[in-house]
Amino acid sequence: MLIGALVISLVIGMLARRHNKGGYGTQVRSIGHAKIGAAIASNWMSAASFLGIAGVFFLQGYFAFAYILGWTGGYILLLVLMGSQIRRFGKYTAPDFVEARYDSSVARVFSAIIAIVIALIYCVAQYKGIGLIFAWMFGIDYTQALLFGILVTFVFITVAGALKATRNLQMHYLVLILSFVIPLMLIAKKLGYNWLFPQFSYGRALQDLPEKISSDYLFPWTFGTPYEWIALCFTLMVGTAGLPHVLSRFYTVPNNRDARWGVVWGLFFIGLLYWSAPAFGAFAQSWLVTSGTTLDPTAAKALADIIVIKTAEWVGLNSILVSILAVGGVLVAISTIIGLLVSAAGVVSYDIYYRLINPNASERRLTLVAKIVTLILALLVLVIAVNPPGLIAQITAVAFALAGNTLFPVFLLGIWWDRTNKHGAIAGMLVGTIITFAPILLGSLIPILPKVLPPTSSALIGAPVVILTMIIVSRLTPPPPEHLRRFLVEKVHSP
Amino acid sequence: MSQTNGQKPLSREDLRINFFRPRPGFMRREVIIIWITLAAWAIMIFGMPVYLAITYSYSASTLAEVSYTFGVPSYFWFSSQFLILWFVFLCFSFNVLIDWLSSSYRKRR
Repeated sequence: MLIGALVISLVIGMLARRHNKGGYGTQVRSIGHAKIGAAIASNWMSAASFLGIAGVFFLQGYFAFAYILGWTGGYILLLVLMGSQIRRFGKYTAPDFVEARYDSSVARVFSAIIAIVIALIYCVAQYKGIGLIFAWMFGIDYTQALLFGILVTFVFITVAGALKATRNLQMHYLVLILSFVIPLMLIAKKLGYNWLFPQFSYGRALQDLPEKISSDYLFPWTFGTPYEWIALCFTLMVGTAGLPHVLSRFYTVPNNRDARWGVVWGLFFIGLLYWSAPAFGAFAQSWLVTSGTTLDPTAAKALADIIVIKTAEWVGLNSILVSILAVGGVLVAISTIIGLLVSAAGVVSYDIYYRLINPNASERRLTLVAKIVTLILALLVLVIAVNPPGLIAQITAVAFALAGNTLFPVFLLGIWWDRTNKHGAIAGMLVGTIITFAPILLGSLIPILPKVLPPTSSALIGAPVVILTMIIVSRLTPPPPEHLRRFLVEKVHSP
Repeated sequence: MSQTNGQKPLSREDLRINFFRPRPGFMRREVIIIWITLAAWAIMIFGMPVYLAITYSYSASTLAEVSYTFGVPSYFWFSSQFLILWFVFLCFSFNVLIDWLSSSYRKRR
C-alpha cells in the first residue's frame, strides 16, 4: 500500500511539474476561496500536525492546546498585520523582502541563513516521523528507516520535482484529512463512543478514565505552568506569522483579496485536523486502561509520535485502515521535506553561492549547486535526526521560535515603522538568533536559562526584546533612504 | 520596487509609517480594524489561561465543581474547539471590514 501510494503521488507530481513549468507553484489561475484555503491547509500540514499533536496530547493532555492554538492563532497575526502589506510590497521570499526593505546585502544573507536553519530544523522533525513509521512498518531499526526515508525523498525530488505544485494541493489536503478522520471515526466506534463526531466523543472517553488519569488530562496545569503554556502558545503564533514558507503562500494566489479570504477557509480546514488530533491521544489512553496495559514514561514517550497509528493498531482496526494512517503520515512528511529542502537549496545556491561566491555562475551551474546542496542538507538533517532531541511537535516548535525571534520582528517593523533601518534589522536578527539558541547551547552551564527561555517557547520574551533592540539601534543610526519610506507610504499602505 | 528619483521630496510627516500613530485616512481606519481584531484575539486566547491560573489550584475536587460542555470542562472545550472557530470568525469579520474599507477608498480615488 505504501509503495502504491508513493507511486501514485510520484505520478501526480510528475504530471503537475509538466503542466507547471513556468511557475513552480507561484502562478495559479483564479480559483475559489475554498480551494485556496485547502491549498493553505495542505501547505501547512506536516508531521507535526498529522502525528505530533496527538502525541503531545497523549503525553501532556491540556498542555497540547498551546500547540493547537499557537499554530492556528498565528494565522490571525499573519492576516491582520502582514499578509496584505507584504504582498503589496511585492517580494516573494524572506531574503528578497529583507534586501528590498532594508537595502542591505548583509541583512539579506543573514535572513537567508535563518530561513535555511528553520527549514533544517523543520526537516529533522519530519524525518523523525518518517523514520518512526518506516521502522514500525517494516520492523527495521530506526536509523535504517531514516536512511530509507532519505532515499524515498530523493526519488521524489529527482523524478517529480515537488509534490506541492499548486494544482495538487487541494487533492493532497482531501486525501490527508480523509485518511486522518475516517480511521478516527472507526476507532471511536470500536471503543463504543459516538463515531459520527469523535471530535466531541473523546471527552466522554476522558471522563471514563480512572479519576487520577482523567483529571491529569483535563486539568490545565498538570504538565506545565501557565507561563510555559502562554510562552509556547505565543511563540508558535509569532513563529507562524514569520515562517517563510507560510508567508510565501500569500503570493500563490491571483490577488490580495483572494489570499485574505483563502485564509478563512484555510484556518477552518486546519481546524478540522486539530479538532480531531487530540481524540487519538484520548482513545489511546482509553484503550490502555480498558485493556489493562501499562506503559512506563519512557515507552509512552517513544510511542507518542506514532500514537495515531498505534491507536488504530491497538483497537484492532483493519490493517488497511492502519496502513492508510501510516501512509498519510509518510506522505505529509515527505511533501513537507521536499518543499523545504528544495527552497532551502534555492536560497543557498542563489543568496549565498551566486551573490557572495560566484556572481558569474551560469544557470546550469546554479542548478548543479542547488542539487548538491539539497543532498548535503538532507545528510545534515539525517545526522541530527538519528538522535532526535524531542518529540516531533517540540522540534518543530524550535523552528517557530527562531522564526518568531528573528523574521517576525524584521517583517513587522519593516512594514509598520518607516524608521527601521538595516542596522536595526541586522542587530535584531543577531539578538533573536542568540536568544533562540542560547538556552539550547548554554543550558547545561546556566540552568536558569532554559527555564526562563524554554527552547520551544523563547519568543514570549525574545520577540519583544528583538523589537526593542531594532528600535534602539535604528534610532541611533541614520534613517533608511527616502525612496524606501516613500514606497511604504505610497504602495504598501495604500488601498 | 519603484524608485522615486526626480519626485517632489516629502516631509518627515508625509513619510511617517507608525502603527501607533497611523496616517489619517485609509491607514488610520485600517489600523483601528487591526486593533479591534487583535484585542478580540488576545483577550480570548490569553484571557482563559490567565483566568485559569488565577482561579484554579490543583485538587481532585476542582473538576467536580466546574461546568461542563460536550462532556469536558467548559474551559477545556473552549481551548480545544471553540477558539479555532473564534479565529475563523475573526478572519471572516476582518476581511469583511477590510473589503468595505478598501472599496470605499477606491471609489473616492
